Amino acid sequence: MIPIGLLAVLPLVVAGLGLFPRSSPWLPRAAAGLMTLQVPLVLWICLPAFSGVRIVWGDFAIDGLGAAFTCITTIVVAAALIQASFLLPAGRANHPMSDRRFCLFYTLAGLFVVAMYSAPLAQNLGYMWMALEATTLMSAPLVDFHRNRASLEATWKYLLLCSVGIAFALFGTVLFFAAQHGLLQGTLSTPGLMATAKSLDPKLLRVAYVFCLLGYGTKAGIFPLHNWLPDAHSEAPAPVSAMLSGALLNCALVAIWRVSQVVSAAGQDDFVRSLLVPAGAITVLAAGLMLIRQHDLKRMWAYSSVEHVGLLVVAIGMGAGPIFVLHAFNHSLAKTALFLISGNILEVLGTRSLSKLSGILRFAPLWGIVLVGAGFAIAGSPPFGTFLSEWLLLKTTFTGNQVFASVALVAGLTIAFLGVMSHLAGVVFGPESDKSKLKPVPSWAAAPAVLLAGSLVAGIAVTPTAMSFLKSLFEAAGR
Amino acid sequence: MSLSGLDLMAAAAAASAVWMCGVSGVQTQLRGLVLQTAAIAIVCMILGAREHEGHYYGLALVVFAVKGAAIPVFLSWAARRLGVRKDSGAYFGPAIGLLAGCAALVAGLFIGRDLAVPMGTSAGAAGMSMALVFIGMLLMTTRRLAISQLIALLTLENGILLFGLTQTKGMPLMVEMGAVFEILVGVLIGGLVIFRLNRSFEHIDVTNLRELRR
Repeated sequence: MIPIGLLAVLPLVVAGLGLFPRSSPWLPRAAAGLMTLQVPLVLWICLPAFSGVRIVWGDFAIDGLGAAFTCITTIVVAAALIQASFLLPAGRANHPMSDRRFCLFYTLAGLFVVAMYSAPLAQNLGYMWMALEATTLMSAPLVDFHRNRASLEATWKYLLLCSVGIAFALFGTVLFFAAQHGLLQGTLSTPGLMATAKSLDPKLLRVAYVFCLLGYGTKAGIFPLHNWLPDAHSEAPAPVSAMLSGALLNCALVAIWRVSQVVSAAGQDDFVRSLLVPAGAITVLAAGLMLIRQHDLKRMWAYSSVEHVGLLVVAIGMGAGPIFVLHAFNHSLAKTALFLISGNILEVLGTRSLSKLSGILRFAPLWGIVLVGAGFAIAGSPPFGTFLSEWLLLKTTFTGNQVFASVALVAGLTIAFLGVMSHLAGVVFGPESDKSKLKPVPSWAAAPAVLLAGSLVAGIAVTPTAMSFLKSLFEAAGR
Repeated sequence: MSLSGLDLMAAAAAASAVWMCGVSGVQTQLRGLVLQTAAIAIVCMILGAREHEGHYYGLALVVFAVKGAAIPVFLSWAARRLGVRKDSGAYFGPAIGLLAGCAALVAGLFIGRDLAVPMGTSAGAAGMSMALVFIGMLLMTTRRLAISQLIALLTLENGILLFGLTQTKGMPLMVEMGAVFEILVGVLIGGLVIFRLNRSFEHIDVTNLRELRR
């Protein structure tokens, strides 16, 4: 029997090392090494869960869904910290900062990772809520790493809006508990709630679900609630942006999946669908339109995250678990690669303005190739994994008679593709911008290139066998 | 209909929140927050006496120590350090604020009646907690200073806590305690960010943060 706590050991070691300012010369490399080591470790711990065995530890358990998202989080964090080991020391040369402040980054990052593991593994709505609140608290100071006015404003917006959002989710959680007034003993454990779902008060259950959706939806960036997201994701240092987009959004979406599961088990599947599918489709369409008018490279990727959150919300609404996991995996790989390579560009060229960037392919061919590849992947072109997961999702909405949603999705995806491609063409082609202060280091593209290769493999590996494997992850969980 | 002590205390919490809508001084608002939290702690103790369960007293103590003492003292110290006294409101002044607060109270009562658990003993308290939630949202959107927004968030959380206390049978203690603890950490981090806002922008007026609106 493997204790789940083992997952947290290496991140906590990183967090602990960050408390010693003297470790600053070697800490970035040590942290990158430890988190790379974490990848095989997590795979080993999660392996039984992939073959249908639930590893239970109190109110936490690694089930199929939890295992998938734990692995995704680990891969994203490992890549982000590898990149941080180049980017942060290089950035320190331009903006001097004390050793203490520099090392604090790793303390917060380590704790942030532990919180991100806890959220998808919690089998109790209360603990899940606490884990998600903890992710906000640990990551808000990370957004403000550069300590300029823009990043400070973004941090305040992130902290406040997500705290209000998460307060609504707490209200929803309390209402889930209140909905059990007909039972002798209430519970917040998701398996327990699902077992007694039929005897919950339907009206309170619906209200609870709406509040949870508002709360976790704010954290995930569903359309009218998204407006902190582009600020926080673009002002944070690149490795943090990658973790926020590639890993944290997934945690909020898993929370939505878990509460949806309870409401569906109560026989309110139509209610879940009628809320989530339009919300997701509108998010995709709105994000696509907003992608057209972008002036900033990292902000563009942030809006593209909103678009993909919309797709994932539609997948949750359709109850399509395998597509949800598959698309989350593909999006995380491509988006992490994009944020990391954009971080390189910002570090070396000193700007992320789309009008000032040009000729990346000439300036740094390897970076340019990875940027274009990941750009195609995020826009959903074949042969990358995102194409297949988006295709499968469209197939599900069409066969599920969601005509409005299908049309909105197709329109949104098309507009988003055009938006991303037209901006990206301006960045990679054309004459080299001559403002480069530093020479590009080809090896800085290594981690993003590996992620991109992963996305390519995911595009080829999706066979009926792979889909039935993904389906098996959800079999124990019902729905 | 006679009011139970529990409903009375819930009403006291909501009344102090309405009063907070009408005052502009930051220190006065913090006093309102202390009153509000004290009333909720008393609700918690009444429940403890009614159910004969010791852990309610522990929760009352923690709630008051954190939200009624530690956080207000910290925020009051921060306000003095930052030299902020008055929050004149973003859209309207205190008089209309008070009216809006009353409106939120009425709305809370009506909606709370629908959300109250059937056969529960405290339908009135459900209305009062909804009123606290609405007033928290109102304060959040109509105040200028970052520090007042934290106070608004605390009011909103108080409403949720009151709802959880009065409308559920034994909400797991860990979750309630965890929520109180996380709000403490949140306010501390928020306070640090406010100090940094003050250093970079030389004010903490959130309606005047325009770095990102390019």
